[in-house]
Amino acid sequence: MSVLPYAVAAWLFGIGLYGIATSRNFIHLVGCLGVCQSATYVLLLGLGYRWGGIAPIFYDHPPGTPAVDPVMQALVLTDIVVGATLTALLLVLTIQAHKRGGSLDPEKLRPMRAGGTSGRGQGASRVSDREQSTS
Amino acid sequence: MSPRVRIALLALAALVLLPGAAEVIAGLPPFGSTIAQYGERINAITPEARHVANMVSAINFDLRGLDTLGEEFMLLAAITGTVVLLRGRRGEGNTGHAMRRPGRAVIPRSEAVILACRIAGPLTALFGLYVVLHATVTPGGGFQGGVILASGTLLIYLGEGYAGWRQAIHSHWLDALEGGGALLFALCGLVPMLTGAAFMQNILPLGTFRDLFSGGLMLVENLGVALAVTGGFTQLFLEFMEETRAADEAEEPGEESA
Repeated sequence: MSVLPYAVAAWLFGIGLYGIATSRNFIHLVGCLGVCQSATYVLLLGLGYRWGGIAPIFYDHPPGTPAVDPVMQALVLTDIVVGATLTALLLVLTIQAHKRGGSLDPEKLRPMRAGGTSGRGQGASRVSDREQSTS
Repeated sequence: MSPRVRIALLALAALVLLPGAAEVIAGLPPFGSTIAQYGERINAITPEARHVANMVSAINFDLRGLDTLGEEFMLLAAITGTVVLLRGRRGEGNTGHAMRRPGRAVIPRSEAVILACRIAGPLTALFGLYVVLHATVTPGGGFQGGVILASGTLLIYLGEGYAGWRQAIHSHWLDALEGGGALLFALCGLVPMLTGAAFMQNILPLGTFRDLFSGGLMLVENLGVALAVTGGFTQLFLEFMEETRAADEAEEPGEESA
């Protein structure tokens, strides 16, 4: 049973990767990336765990009590915060892809055209995009 | 690339990588038996050396403070990217107050929801402050407390509606919180150098163990992180909500083809 946490981490990573590879929707894809990321939480916390260890906070317990690895906990903490903001950034990119391409399907993602990138000319270029797609 | 080819590629990559992964997992120390020497030494030395009880805060803000500075700027960059991408399309104008997309109904809230939010909102803010301030003593710190404070501001939205929320929350203040927090953290690294100490060396008095005022410079860095996280997460929510306001153009051509 001693490899169970690592196996769970590998399984989470694998199933998230499978979801990313087969995804037909950007929002689903971002969620799958979150599953992949949670594999790193399990792996880090599993590596830093010790049977019978307390949390690495020596308030109720005197210093010197066997505790779990605080480095891994600090890593997971920063992992979660950065992960949350990066999820927001990816969701914004999803919004932009939907506005430009009209679809959330990664299969239908087309390269951006030059001229559609500037803020002012966007409306005009988008109309021309639509004319091209309908013709 | 068709989905079938992609699955085949994924299976091929898994076949190649699985033996290596199995090898690494088999080589790891058995779960729960021991922890890394570095963490062991930190647990043994830091309570005395830094007068703090929370090892995670000690690592984040002192021992590996430089790494947290990098992470702080990753946070800043991700939020700046989000804001630039959303505002770039929408323009800077009219961001000062709430607007509504025409034709979208405003659903009235029940009085129970308003009352619950008015009770829970201040309590959540208070709890967030508690978690921020007790970073070096109990489980807590700027990251966790900042997220709790940001969710406290969301309760204003839930209880008072979008217009009320935008009256209470100003986008420019959030910019200042976010950037000011990151600046405070960077200054915590630079100011000790003025006194001849090393970058981010803990030059403030360390205080007493198990006291609110312990850890010296860590408290200032913790405050910077709390400001940045509160401002950043509230800013994210504000910018996403602004997506629902009326666009400057009458209608988005891209949305019709969806």
